[in-house]
Amino acid sequence: MAARDKKCEDWDLVITPKDKVLWLDIKELVQYRDLLNLLIRRDFVSMYKQTILGPLWFVFQPLMSTIMYMFVFGSIAQMGTDGIPQPLFYFTGTMLWTFFSITLTKCQDTFNSNAGLFGKVYFPRFTMPIAYTVNSFFTFIIQFLFLIIFYVFYLITGTAVHPTWWILFTPVLIIQVALLGMGIGILISALTTKYKDLRQLVSFGLGLLMYATPIVYPLSKIPSKWKVVFLVNPVTSIVEMFRYAFLGNGMHNFWIWGGSFVSTLLIFWLGVITFNHNEKTFIDVI
Amino acid sequence: MDTVVRVEGLSKEYRLGVIGNGSLYRDIQSWIARLKKKDDPWSEIGGQSRVGRRERFLALKDVSFEVRRGERLGIVGRNGAGKSTLLKILSQITAPTSGSIKIKGKVASLLEVGTGFHPELTGRENVYLNGAILGMKKSEIDRKFDEIVVFSELDNEFIDTPVKRFSSGMFVRLAFAVAAHLDSDILIADEVLAVGDAKFQQKCLGAMKDASENQGRTVLFVSHMITALQQLCTKGILLEHGSLVEAGTMDQIASRYQKLLAET
Repeated sequence: MAARDKKCEDWDLVITPKDKVLWLDIKELVQYRDLLNLLIRRDFVSMYKQTILGPLWFVFQPLMSTIMYMFVFGSIAQMGTDGIPQPLFYFTGTMLWTFFSITLTKCQDTFNSNAGLFGKVYFPRFTMPIAYTVNSFFTFIIQFLFLIIFYVFYLITGTAVHPTWWILFTPVLIIQVALLGMGIGILISALTTKYKDLRQLVSFGLGLLMYATPIVYPLSKIPSKWKVVFLVNPVTSIVEMFRYAFLGNGMHNFWIWGGSFVSTLLIFWLGVITFNHNEKTFIDVI
Repeated sequence: MDTVVRVEGLSKEYRLGVIGNGSLYRDIQSWIARLKKKDDPWSEIGGQSRVGRRERFLALKDVSFEVRRGERLGIVGRNGAGKSTLLKILSQITAPTSGSIKIKGKVASLLEVGTGFHPELTGRENVYLNGAILGMKKSEIDRKFDEIVVFSELDNEFIDTPVKRFSSGMFVRLAFAVAAHLDSDILIADEVLAVGDAKFQQKCLGAMKDASENQGRTVLFVSHMITALQQLCTKGILLEHGSLVEAGTMDQIASRYQKLLAET
């Protein structure tokens, strides 16, 4: 029906009960790129405005986690790192995991934290999760640069780190983390709108999931009968591939990674559908 | 003159009462109880189960009307008549249950003054953020920035102060100044003039009328202030219990509305 009207009369906007939107309205997002810019800048600046450490804060957190992991899992539990220097091993893990979990946590709260704004004015709702993801990406980049400094230091001093050609592949891995965190986040954002207590469950679940992902131990420590369970988790192969690329040790099976990439795209697509569906009606539910 | 807004058979249904129990584990308990054909542990004593209950309320019933280019339409009705719901659907904030709306041109909607203003940001930063939220481009705001500040009657020294330190009057004036400079073909406004003093209200009404008469902008305006409506609007519609009771000139609608108020 909408198509027929478009033909006889040129309407710019047709509002009907249900739009089955199966993909992102990229054109609309491009129209709102200035808003996206402002949102990103606002969040980024407000994160370190009125703090003592400023942007250094972004490095301080993973650094402290790394030191803690070295002490608890490295020295006390003696878990091993597949011969990779402990600081590099834990820092890469915690850096990737923080990127994933912060993105997810922010995105799943999109509707709750913006209810006042969304209830009063229309703009593409998807700008919000994009802004959140880009922000945690910036944080990630700062940490990544910090890692590179460490890494070069280790390379020069001749410690056992072996970069491989897979390094060229890291941009894909980083994009995958972003898509995965965002995808799961927007997928459950509809549920956290309706059930507020699910938010606690998400942060708790993420805390547990970290231990089910090879962040503080290498995948090689997992008994082979349990490995399948770990490989179902798409984050596992991202972390392992990333470590293999930079440090020369870790799982590097292209097909297993391919599987995790396909499932990432699938999760992201499902997230977009749920999000599109939810943005039309959530204001009546919240 | 051509039609720029066409509303056809628009209805909006809301579910009444508690939607679910508000937490997942309670909902699951209710579902399990229903599956076992037992009483819902979370229902009120002697009451019905909350989850299966379907009490519905029609906020809008089969509303149809058209607005032509350059017209200023006043929407009147008592509290709960469906005015705000209609504007929310027109502004794409919530979807209708049935029916459709077709719009020609760019829409700017102003359901609240100062939406998206961030208290920690300065007046200047908020003008940009608020403008962008309302759909303006950065270059557009750059161009109009001085005009906006002049319209808001704000002193220049305040523009770089965080808005949390503004008086409420300053806040409203700045917020409305942004909205008044939106370049849209259609402006939708909900009771935005209730704030601000009489002088500034007159200025805003004047600005809206100007834009409509000189640039052919269409205005859809909801208000309880009959004088303001009569001053600004050419046409009007009256809503009552979600239905469109009458459409006509603003004066007709105003007297009909006053009769309706007197009846009850």
